[in-house]
Amino acid sequence: MDNDQADMNTALMVDGNAVAGQLQQIFGRDMTTAMAKCAGCGRDAEMGALMAFTHAPGVVLRCPACQTAIARIVETPSAIYLEARGAAFLRMQR
Amino acid sequence: MVQPVLEWQAGTVTAIRTETWQTKSFTLALPKWMAHRPGQHYDIRLTAPDGYQTERSYSVASAPERVGVIELTVERIADGEVSPYLHDVLVTGDQLEVRGPIGGYFVWELALGGPLLLIGGGSGVVPLMAMLRHRGAQHAAVPTRILYSSRTPEDVIYRDELDALASADRAFEAFFTFTRQAPVGWTGYRRRIDATMLGEVIKPFGTRVRVYVCGPTLLVEAVANALVQMELPTEQIRTERFGPTGA
Repeated sequence: MDNDQADMNTALMVDGNAVAGQLQQIFGRDMTTAMAKCAGCGRDAEMGALMAFTHAPGVVLRCPACQTAIARIVETPSAIYLEARGAAFLRMQR
Repeated sequence: MVQPVLEWQAGTVTAIRTETWQTKSFTLALPKWMAHRPGQHYDIRLTAPDGYQTERSYSVASAPERVGVIELTVERIADGEVSPYLHDVLVTGDQLEVRGPIGGYFVWELALGGPLLLIGGGSGVVPLMAMLRHRGAQHAAVPTRILYSSRTPEDVIYRDELDALASADRAFEAFFTFTRQAPVGWTGYRRRIDATMLGEVIKPFGTRVRVYVCGPTLLVEAVANALVQMELPTEQIRTERFGPTGA
């Protein structure tokens, strides 16, 4: 049962590329090559390489190394919520 | 890097081509066309009469050298919200809301050089085709191989173009593998992509190869893990996962 659930989650997983348009809308620039440092394990990963879970009302981006939830995005008709407690920082190349 | 604001625009469908029994290519003329980087995608947004909206991302299949238009190759997902509409309802002359080009992670352009190994599963071949068409339009001799996994011969997208390119271009080779049913008399691969297969295809390129992997998530996971086991530097590997569908 747990394995089935894990397999299903893995199969449904995409990556940060899949939410590139949404991120670009929020940040005003391409974010797939921006570096996110995971607050959980310290790993640096380009946002395009983060694990993305999009089959829910919001989007969850997770660290590919330790699976810490780096960011969550929820859009409502009146606002966009971005919670990024799982990121120590984001680095955007000038 | 200053980038233009990502705006929705209405593209006009100028051509629809059937590629396989479940994929079609749609050519869209865009009023605010800009050159994409091969591997980038566009988002398509559909709006229902009651205002309900839904979006999906589709990779650009054409080369940026094709000015003014983009070509999107779309697999029909039976229970999908967007692809059945594109396949069954859309006709030439219709308008479609799109925004792009999007993404900078899964891109290859000539300046990045090679050698280049492209690995695709199912419709994951689409962004790889944009890279190959760009390479062709630039008359580049970058040593390139593609390893393309399909369920059956009927599922192979761009088969004629890949075969023609392989016979005309000595720096390019195409490898196909079939996971359910191979063509009659097929002597090539007939299994899921595994470490042995990857080792054979990658061998002449050594460890300096740039690798792009696109396909269903489980295929990309398996390939990426095998490449890391082969001690290929992770910064040379670019992956794009599109979820549970495909080969």
